Amino acid sequence: MLRHLARRLGQALLVVAGVVVLTFAVMRVVPGDPAVAFAGPKATPEQLAAARERFGLDDPLPAQLLAYVRDLVTGDWGISLRTRQPVRDDLALAFPASLELVGAALLLAIAVGIPLGVLAARYKTKFPDFGVRLGSMLAVSVPVFWLALALQTLFAGALGWFPVAGEYDARLDTTSPLTLWTNITAVDALITGNWPILTSTLHHLVLPALVVAAYPAGVIAQMTRAALIEEAGQDHARMGRALGFGETSVLTRFALRPALNPVLSLIALVFAYALVNGFLVEAVFNWPGLGRYAAESIRSLDTPAIAGVTLLVALVYVLVNLVVDLLQGLVDPRVRVR
Amino acid sequence: MRWHKRLLVAGVAGVLALTASACAGGQVRGAGGTPQPQASGGTPAAAQANDRTFVYVPNLDVVTDWDPATSYSNEIVALSNIYEGLTRYNSETREAEPRLATEWTSSEDGKTWTFKLRQGVKFHSGATMDAEAAKKAIERTIEKKGGAAYIWDPVDKIEAVDAATLEFTLKYAAPLDLIASSGYAAWIYDVDAVDADGESTAGTGPYTIDSWQKGKETELTLKAFEGYWGGWKPEQYKKVAFRVTPEITTAWQLLQRGEVDYVQRLNPQLFQQAQSTDGVQTTESPSFQNLLVLFNTADGPTRDPKVRQALQLAIDYDGLVAALEGSAQKASGLVPEGLLGHTPGMEPKQDLARAQELLAEAGYGPDNPELTLSLTYAQGDDDQKLLVTLLSSALKQLNITLQARPMTWAAQWDLGKKQGQDILVMYWYPDYPDAYSWFLNVFRSTDEPQLNLSYLKNADIDAAIDKLPELTATDKSAASDGYRDLQKKIIEEQAAVAVPYVQKYQRALSANVRGYVDNPAYPNVVFFYDLTLAS
Repeated sequence: MLRHLARRLGQALLVVAGVVVLTFAVMRVVPGDPAVAFAGPKATPEQLAAARERFGLDDPLPAQLLAYVRDLVTGDWGISLRTRQPVRDDLALAFPASLELVGAALLLAIAVGIPLGVLAARYKTKFPDFGVRLGSMLAVSVPVFWLALALQTLFAGALGWFPVAGEYDARLDTTSPLTLWTNITAVDALITGNWPILTSTLHHLVLPALVVAAYPAGVIAQMTRAALIEEAGQDHARMGRALGFGETSVLTRFALRPALNPVLSLIALVFAYALVNGFLVEAVFNWPGLGRYAAESIRSLDTPAIAGVTLLVALVYVLVNLVVDLLQGLVDPRVRVR
Repeated sequence: MRWHKRLLVAGVAGVLALTASACAGGQVRGAGGTPQPQASGGTPAAAQANDRTFVYVPNLDVVTDWDPATSYSNEIVALSNIYEGLTRYNSETREAEPRLATEWTSSEDGKTWTFKLRQGVKFHSGATMDAEAAKKAIERTIEKKGGAAYIWDPVDKIEAVDAATLEFTLKYAAPLDLIASSGYAAWIYDVDAVDADGESTAGTGPYTIDSWQKGKETELTLKAFEGYWGGWKPEQYKKVAFRVTPEITTAWQLLQRGEVDYVQRLNPQLFQQAQSTDGVQTTESPSFQNLLVLFNTADGPTRDPKVRQALQLAIDYDGLVAALEGSAQKASGLVPEGLLGHTPGMEPKQDLARAQELLAEAGYGPDNPELTLSLTYAQGDDDQKLLVTLLSSALKQLNITLQARPMTWAAQWDLGKKQGQDILVMYWYPDYPDAYSWFLNVFRSTDEPQLNLSYLKNADIDAAIDKLPELTATDKSAASDGYRDLQKKIIEEQAAVAVPYVQKYQRALSANVRGYVDNPAYPNVVFFYDLTLAS
């Protein structure tokens, strides 16, 4: 197990190093002078030269790469050309916001997707199966942007059940200021017992989380169904049946646990993917998250910020995969032996 | 089943570990805010005092630079309410009006300017605003060389004659009252109190920072500066919030729900809907920003003036403005309405027959070999894309193929500096309310191309451009004539540029706001102090 872990860690480091070099290379190949993003659209030649000097953009490329890696390792992720804040500070704000949204959405997707998958597997090729398969097909294929606008217009605009946009009611900052520990608003509000902000955040979370949850819920349901059906044909499940357990018990008590393995890998993948790809949802609901930050940075050719986002997401992928490796060992002890 | 619990614990631990680097260690968010009880809904006695927060909806982050010397970006919408200059421009009278200066005079030759300063004005820091402080502020701005500091280039020497008198000696004549009204680089501030982190402000304006949270939805809140020289009336807004909303439809929903008071920009469809929505008022006014289609006068097929004239005539100006559905209006010349030098009667018209004649003279057109032209325009700008589409289909009829490439400005500009395209499309707007920059930056020749991306090199035009500042400072009607002649030369004779339209601002506000005026000299700025809440 330990050797397995060490090997995975080594691979992960290689992946991250590759990402760093690749991002750097791509940033320098893109046409356009990054100094313009800092010095302004009408900058004088002197102002542009000063900006290039400040960010070392005139140095030879290998020297720039070396300086970049050195800074990264020492924790200096550079200054964003667009926001003029340290990239790490920007990410420390945007990442927790995305984590909150994607986390909530995934909890929702798991809570809905797995039971639906079980239901579909239990009544394979019968009406519930049909319903679940149709529903998950819809959830997977509906354009996120459209779903976001539709839910917003209906439930926030017309019915007024939920807020239109935002993370929580900003007026609460003055009446019940939030003490930050993790930068994840809902978590901090929970830890510090700040109920007004907690309820406001949860209320604001409902619509965007529903939208983000649609795709994962669909794939989780489909994957659970497929894995369960496969497991249900295995010897241990047939054994259960032979011992007189009902079909539902066979599925939930014998087949579900081994079937969760591929589902866990899928959840990890969907999680990391949703972190940056939620930017359309983040834009519609004014969620100050990572996807929005990445989109704005790309639009203004903000190279340090783009590199920062890429690196962070790579780290998250790697970390999540490691965590899943460990979790799979917990869920399915056979993995530990293999 | 125990593994459920282990899964849960591991999950929570993972989430916490992921944010460990982002750990903020017990800071209080929105630190500037002092806890205040929520306003209880209007009792008749309290109806007088306006305790509503005015909520402004920008579509981009608000603040990138808190330094009033170097600020040159979106934060103008906040800084214009925190800082004040010596003068403020009025686009209806086309003149600068008193702000921190109460009156001013210039010498006959336009090279010495004397400003009388308002007395009893305090900075937010508590220091007194006097001539010495104003001198220090402008000198610091010049020294920093950031943003639009170049606007002070004409200044040779600043002298604080006495506490109330500020005297500028210029290297060459220039309209210093207009320069001093600039929305960038012209603020008067307490040089000892500048705070780049946005925790305090050093201006004299009616508002100061309450809280700033970069990256948050409600990025910035302002509160009234109690010591403001203009005083405060109960019905004015004492609190302002900026709620960043990139999605136009979201902004519209927020406005309809009454959660926000001012939306900077809607699309034409939503704007039409807003015009007939209860509880919402709208305003429309032309901006100082126009679209320039710059033709390469130095190289390639467009070196031939006939080709450039044909291209001017091929643009479907009326069709374009109609398709833009109210977000733009036809331009007359290079100088927009509301600035000295605006010349009516220069509206262009499409004329494909004449274009074809001109092309035939130049050896192109339907009966001649095909002509291919390259064009660059701004990525993600739908209005420019529409122009490109219309132009491309018109040119097709004239046997011209347009190779249009959308690019980021940095890339477009890089290519432009190398004269890498035949046609370049870009917006232009002045930094201070004076038409001079269209001519100095875009059409005066330089050794290496900078922003003069039509590469025009014409000694007569250069000489005429160089005379503009002095004329504006000393003889307004001669300046007006000078601007008119230059526009005729550049657009009609040289055909270096086509100006399809001036952008129009379409704003939507909640109906209970009174006193809003859109001032194009300060793009997207709302002067919150001028607004009141209708009872």
